Amino acid sequence: MIGLLVGVLTWLPAPAVAAEPLSVKVIVEPVHLETVLGGRFMITTEITNTGAAPSGEILAHLNVASIEGSVYVDPEDWSPNRSQQLSLEPGERQKLSWEIQAVNAGHFAAYVVVVPFGSNVAGNEALMISPLVDVDVASRSTLTAGGALPVVVMVPLLLGLAAAGVFFGARRRGSDR
Amino acid sequence: MTLQVAPPAVGTEQDRRTGTQLQSRWLVVAEQECRDLWTSGRGLILVFLFSVLLSGVTYLTSTNQALNFLEQRESVNLVLQFAVAVGVLATLVVSADGISGERERGTLETLLVTPVSRRSIIGGKLIAALSLWIATFLVSIPYVWVLARGVGILGRALALGFFVGTLVAVGLGSIGLLISAACNSNKTSITASIFLLLILFAPTQLPSGLPQGWFFDVLLRANPVASGLAYISSILVEGHSWPQDLALLITPLLTALIAGGALMFAGPRLVRLTRGVNAG
Amino acid sequence: MTSTTVEAVRLTKHYGGRSAVEGVSFSASQGEIVGLLGPNGAGKTTTIRLLTTVLEPTSGEFSIAGHSSTSATEIRRCVGVLPESSGYPSHQAGGEYLRFYARLYGLSRSQARSLSAELLAAVGLEDRGQSRISTYSRGMRQRLGIARALINDPVVVFLDEPTLGLDPAGQAQVLDIIRSIAKARDATVVLSTHLLPEVEEVCSKVVILNHGRVLVSGSVGEVIKTALIEQSAQLRVPLDLVERARNVLAGFPDLRIEQAAEQPEVLILAVDRPGTDSAHGEVMNEVLAAITAAGIPVLRFELEGARLSDAFLKMTSEAVA
Repeated sequence: MIGLLVGVLTWLPAPAVAAEPLSVKVIVEPVHLETVLGGRFMITTEITNTGAAPSGEILAHLNVASIEGSVYVDPEDWSPNRSQQLSLEPGERQKLSWEIQAVNAGHFAAYVVVVPFGSNVAGNEALMISPLVDVDVASRSTLTAGGALPVVVMVPLLLGLAAAGVFFGARRRGSDR
Repeated sequence: MTLQVAPPAVGTEQDRRTGTQLQSRWLVVAEQECRDLWTSGRGLILVFLFSVLLSGVTYLTSTNQALNFLEQRESVNLVLQFAVAVGVLATLVVSADGISGERERGTLETLLVTPVSRRSIIGGKLIAALSLWIATFLVSIPYVWVLARGVGILGRALALGFFVGTLVAVGLGSIGLLISAACNSNKTSITASIFLLLILFAPTQLPSGLPQGWFFDVLLRANPVASGLAYISSILVEGHSWPQDLALLITPLLTALIAGGALMFAGPRLVRLTRGVNAG
Repeated sequence: MTSTTVEAVRLTKHYGGRSAVEGVSFSASQGEIVGLLGPNGAGKTTTIRLLTTVLEPTSGEFSIAGHSSTSATEIRRCVGVLPESSGYPSHQAGGEYLRFYARLYGLSRSQARSLSAELLAAVGLEDRGQSRISTYSRGMRQRLGIARALINDPVVVFLDEPTLGLDPAGQAQVLDIIRSIAKARDATVVLSTHLLPEVEEVCSKVVILNHGRVLVSGSVGEVIKTALIEQSAQLRVPLDLVERARNVLAGFPDLRIEQAAEQPEVLILAVDRPGTDSAHGEVMNEVLAAITAAGIPVLRFELEGARLSDAFLKMTSEAVA
């Protein structure tokens, strides 16, 4: 599945010449984490310009994919701000962070793709992809009928009793002679 | 039968006639209006029916085995939308009855001959109307707690719901009182206010699949109710950060400020025994 | 020396092209009960609303307890008002209603509570203070309204049709209260009504309005005199003694005697020579004494033309003509 995804992401119409790799190195941490459904975590990426020239405008983009293949993942739900722009001088490195909330249970891979951006796109660059972050999200029950029942029953009951008390109290006051 | 009551001995002759208490009169009006709303049972019946609605929604949500994490967040959003809708509607209806209702019931004249300023009368009535919004919000808290605690958005949901709902309630409550002061007929006042609210709520109910061009965007942003609810959704459902869609709060904020300001400055001139050509 | 507490000078109120009140001027002093009379639509209620600052005059000036018409808030502190057909919040209790108004006038909660209890007792509602106003009869509501009008110990009390819809016992109760207000509190009472007997009973001064203008003002006697109504009397005796009564009355040379058209036992008597009210009254006294001395039973003896209602009807119908 991962191989398929990577292949899709790196596919380009066959250029006349071989793709030039971006001169960046991408490190990501942590490489493995475990959380529960709804849990929030941070992924930090360090991007280094390994080339001799400035990188120009580049875009680091976070993606999430299901390893098990049975869970529909909309990365937008996991992290609303998944793209970050940067520009690196030769040898410069920069750390980027993403805040993520695990909205599905299962086994997932999170990774960062670095692509040229804007006027920096020449058309023959290869993408740089970070190592995968292995994310294990345990399922948990966040809402049960039993947990909701006290509120569902007690709130209207108390309010109803209060309303009845006020109503009949007012009637009794009104009928006083 | 003879009247043998001695005048209240509260100090000097001047005090005897004016009272020594300098307590804000709008507070006195607000207190009595709230007492009328709540001890008559009308307010309690409203929040009771609202709680029944929320109990139904919460129970159906909690028994849905297929409910996923995101849908649970949406249900929190839904409860808050109900709270804002019901709270604002109640505030608006009570406001719309505020002055025109007193005219029809023949109780406005006795209020106008007291030394209480018209502004205090209006201010007190607005506060009392807002108590209905506060009450519906308070009733929604346990339901939001049940639905939101598992998805980690409880604090955010409550703060958002209270802030946005209060802005919308203040704005529409003020508009309702202005309409009420300008209408001789209570029926006209309440009908016009409810119609206004329906117009404001309509865009929020449009199917999401409809093409959304610039016109819809303008319609959304110019509408204090729709833009306020959209802001809540953007944070709770779409997970945006607080500042990201802050522009959506401009209209609710402006509505509250402008309508509230108009009420305080122009309202006193409208609070008269009758409205219309023969107004005195 | 009593001070002037109400002074209206050429008060005028126009609604578009219609004149509701035109050039109304009158005054009232401390402790006076002034009757504001007029047929429906005469401008009584509008006049009261102008004087209590509910409406703004189109022109003219007035002052209440020395405060000019520009000091609306000060005037409102000094007046108590029972508007015509005043509404009441039906779900409030009577005591709660009075406490609310007391607090609007600046009293503390404890002051409001004790004043409310005193006023309820004074108007005979002490047992009903906890009951909802919706359970009150019309008379009780009027008394509650009067109590509310007295909350701020006003200098001037305006009562617009306070006995409207009340039975005779209720009317008597309200009139008693009105008398007490003027006497015990030394307040001026402006009483708007078209029940003339009650005006004659309690008012020291009368202002008759019609079509928004003052027709006449003054004491009851002055108003009657101004109307120039011929005073007469109706004497009813047993039918078989009518001739004998005529013979007795023939001894009064200035007395004109006519028989009522459809009631042969009723004689209408009028004094033909000019004279004062008391002079005419003396003649009627002598007539009555002579009839009684002759052993003729007097079934009814009623003076006419000496009543305010006669003056009122004459003046308002002349104004229409």
